[in-house]
Amino acid sequence: MDMLSGLAHGAAFIGSNASGLRIAQANPLEHPTWLRFLTTFNYEIGKRVFEHKGPLPGWIPEMVPVTWFVILVLCLTVIIAGRKLRLRNPGHFQLALEFIVTTLEGFVRNIVGDREAKVITPIIGTTFIFILCCSLIGIVPGFISPTSNTNTTVALALMAFFFVQYMAISRLGFLTYAKHFLGEPIWLAPLMLPLHIVGELARPLSLSIRLFGNIFGEETVVGVLILIVTVILGNVLIPLQFPMVLFAVFGALVQSLVFSMLVSIYIAVALAGHEEHQ
Amino acid sequence: MSPVVALILAIGFGVPIAVIGGALGQGRAAGSALEGIARQPEAAGKIQTAMIIGLALIESLVIYALLISLILLFMGVPSAEKLLQAVSKVK
Repeated sequence: MDMLSGLAHGAAFIGSNASGLRIAQANPLEHPTWLRFLTTFNYEIGKRVFEHKGPLPGWIPEMVPVTWFVILVLCLTVIIAGRKLRLRNPGHFQLALEFIVTTLEGFVRNIVGDREAKVITPIIGTTFIFILCCSLIGIVPGFISPTSNTNTTVALALMAFFFVQYMAISRLGFLTYAKHFLGEPIWLAPLMLPLHIVGELARPLSLSIRLFGNIFGEETVVGVLILIVTVILGNVLIPLQFPMVLFAVFGALVQSLVFSMLVSIYIAVALAGHEEHQ
Repeated sequence: MSPVVALILAIGFGVPIAVIGGALGQGRAAGSALEGIARQPEAAGKIQTAMIIGLALIESLVIYALLISLILLFMGVPSAEKLLQAVSKVK
């Protein structure tokens, strides 16, 4: 049902005059989700318009309850798994989670080094799992990926940016970190300072745009392929989008890996550059 | 050519032109990484890590082009049409 209305939405987009678009509908294939009852919206039965009152106001996009759903599922999984931890004879569930944590810790340790890995792994690992789940939930029918919206990715990238700054300042001290911005020959500082600051500020921009562009592109391709089948063939449903769905799984994995890897590399660069100077 | 048509041509041609460059760069990066892995299979992990980062950085440039196309599509075209309507009213 929601797929049909999503298709109708997309068909209206493709058939409509471009001036009829509103900027709020940035994603033409954005369709209603199972969590729509939480928001406020208008709907029509026949010619009468009804208003559905949910606990959330109408201007909140539906990816917000979807994000809460992801957070809820992740938290419940970990809480339920963490209740019965056993040192001897651990269950399958505990072993699987331990495998995930060990892999993530090894991944961070390879990049950042042994000393800071224990501090950084929880944040990088949580970011990885959260981005992966947010990207993958768009494949489930009736859900949209929160990461295909710029708001989520900008928030994640800003969090990563402030985390990198916090790590650099707390480990190096503010003065050493600020001196790093001035560059090596001190008389080049007027040239290097803006360059370093712009370079630092470009990082969250490129992080957020990369994640958003990839996930949004995959979702749009899948949606357009569904649309092509229904528009051309009518009622004959062929899963033309299936290869792209598989590719979306791969892309979600790679993009979450790239995001967490880049954040840990930024931290490693900020911490290692200092040791070389000394 | 009306501005709207020019904008739509720009949107349509912008991403493929960026994709040509990105694809060439990514092909070279992946090819060199595979050569390196074939020569030194024990360094496969490190080479893969560096390659994925390089591919992500190349890809982000293509995605900037996609972003500009999206901005033109969702903001440029409506404002160009409004501009045309305003101009036609003045005439």
